[in-house]
Amino acid sequence: MNINKSLEKNRKKIIDQWFEATIKSYPPETARVLGRIKNRFDNPVGSATQESLENVFDQLLKDLDPGKLEDALDPVIRIRAVQKFTASDAVGFVFELKEIVKNILENAPGEDFDRKVDQVALAAFNRFMKCRESIFLIKATESKKRIHRAFERAGLVTELKDEDLL
Amino acid sequence: MSDELKPDELLDKVDHSPASGSWMDTTVQIRPGIFSYAAKPESLETLSAPNPRQWNPLDDDWKLPENWQEIIHNGIKERLEKFRTFKIFMDVCVRCGACADKCHFFLGTGDPLNMPVLRAELLRSVYRNDFTTAGKILSKIPGGEKLGGGRPMTVEVLKQWWYYFFQCTECRRCSVFCPYGIDTAEITIMGRELLNLLGLNIDWIATPVSNCYQTGNHLGIQPHAFKDMLDFFTEDIEEITGVNVEPQFNVKGADILFITPSGDVFADPGTYTCQGYMILFKYLKDKYDLNVTWSTYASEGGNFGFFTSHETMKRLNAKMYAEAKRLGVKWILGGECGHMWRVINQYMDTMNGPADFLEEPVNPITGTKFENAKSTKMVHITEFTADLIKHGKLELDKSRNSNRVMTFHDSCNPARGMGLLDEPRYCIQNVCDNFFEMPENTIREQTFCCGSGAGLNAGENIELRMAGALPRANAVKYVHDKFGVNTLGTICAIDRAALSTLCEYWVPEVEVYGVHELVGNALILPGEKKRETDLRMEPLPGMEDDDE
Repeated sequence: MNINKSLEKNRKKIIDQWFEATIKSYPPETARVLGRIKNRFDNPVGSATQESLENVFDQLLKDLDPGKLEDALDPVIRIRAVQKFTASDAVGFVFELKEIVKNILENAPGEDFDRKVDQVALAAFNRFMKCRESIFLIKATESKKRIHRAFERAGLVTELKDEDLL
Repeated sequence: MSDELKPDELLDKVDHSPASGSWMDTTVQIRPGIFSYAAKPESLETLSAPNPRQWNPLDDDWKLPENWQEIIHNGIKERLEKFRTFKIFMDVCVRCGACADKCHFFLGTGDPLNMPVLRAELLRSVYRNDFTTAGKILSKIPGGEKLGGGRPMTVEVLKQWWYYFFQCTECRRCSVFCPYGIDTAEITIMGRELLNLLGLNIDWIATPVSNCYQTGNHLGIQPHAFKDMLDFFTEDIEEITGVNVEPQFNVKGADILFITPSGDVFADPGTYTCQGYMILFKYLKDKYDLNVTWSTYASEGGNFGFFTSHETMKRLNAKMYAEAKRLGVKWILGGECGHMWRVINQYMDTMNGPADFLEEPVNPITGTKFENAKSTKMVHITEFTADLIKHGKLELDKSRNSNRVMTFHDSCNPARGMGLLDEPRYCIQNVCDNFFEMPENTIREQTFCCGSGAGLNAGENIELRMAGALPRANAVKYVHDKFGVNTLGTICAIDRAALSTLCEYWVPEVEVYGVHELVGNALILPGEKKRETDLRMEPLPGMEDDDE
């Protein structure tokens, strides 16, 4: 059986274990809450994590498209970028997939699969950096706007557009 | 009730990763991006608040007074005697865990100490140790403290208090789910009040409080600058509508005194909401001869004193009544603000009232009595406008907002603090064609906080704000994806600023509007010219090509 077929056949089992491993990166009392999704609005972290992992897994069955891969990773990474994770912890859950797949599939998935997972990790890191940059940009713009407005009110500068503040 | 967490699991088996042991022993790690800067000494000095000094939360030494433990102990004692709610809330919690997964900060940050029950336990554990008989006895037995859920007050505990009581927006969503009705916001309020006894406020609260106390508003804007800003809006509105809507200030004998948060006057996009009020008052003056005055003295509806202490809240709130009395108005109309309305609805009447020199509010145009404002004498503007619309007193052109696909964010305090749920929706639906609700467990009484309220809309704690905003943003994103919602309406000044930033990160396609900005766009002023743009100077729907 080729690797994609085996992966597809074990889709649910793999994603469930991957989800559990990812949620375990939170403190245990938090993981207990986030690990049970009854309603996506009551548990946004759990549901976004689940959604991302499913979409990333489906990408793995195709030829990897870096853009689509980053989009699939966005919900989970966007959240982890504002939580108490180091950069490596924020994206480290991707590598768990290698071990999980090895344990579940009867035949070893091979180097190609490992390389694909590495690509997912790199895409996750790219998206993580974009989110962090976005956070800093928002922070900088907010404070620039505040300071600028004070000068503006005092009549010391003329009106600037948002683009000029970036 | 949450079935994920059982009492024993929640407290007895709590085990932080990677550290081991009970949450009670955890040394707090104060993380940049989460905490807000310490209050500047000069801001504390304005109010003669205790222990003004330069200090840094990241330093080991917080420069506390020598007898700080005694101050805290006496502070708790005094408050237990003074506030019956505080005493009950300290005793009555059975740790059922129903609140645990209801807090936006817990859901967003994943930090277990942001579960409302554990945040409250930070204070409750000291209460048990120092003030309950069982706690006192058990503290003398080895291991007894843990058995009784008590612990002594140490510097580490104090740091935990400071870190986590400034990670609560006092939104009260958790209290909706508490079977005992414990208002966890009140525990945070008490926690912050105790911290203030040691000079442990954050600057984003202390400096606005100081400004407000000295000049009448949080931003410290002096009367002439306040007037300049509204004059500037008058010019913009005249350019758009051809009508001069010049407001009046400090007019004795006016019918109504209007007070709104200063954020509406100085911070975008609240400034457009402010222009909406000005258009409405001009309309009511021309059509019905209603005389509304602004005040450059009571130039702040918000009250950051509420986030400091009861005493400070009272001092800042007093100017509203003082100004209403000085001007001799009939009653007060309040703008779109959040916590301002909790202060008015739940505290003002007994704090600085009764305002028996004012009249029981009646809408002079429709004759409607505002029963719920009978005692406070202060009416919410969306209730006032909804009443005018209901009686057909406003001429509105909805098509001017037809490019707005709306949803509505219930601001925590008007929704949970005074039950104002339908009036803003009624206004929106009468000035916009497209309105979609977010899922029911994220709106009305169950609304999710913006994550920046109660004085936490600072810049340095941006990661906390974005994490706390996640549950709200998640619901906004849902209606954006499903219905093409592009506009988030709200009736709170902090929301207008905070939601704009959270949308930038989580749902960049959505813009934030105040309800009266939409009213201002739709309202047809007597004698106005054909409008080509909305209040943001963007082309009206159907006018996009007229620029060329």
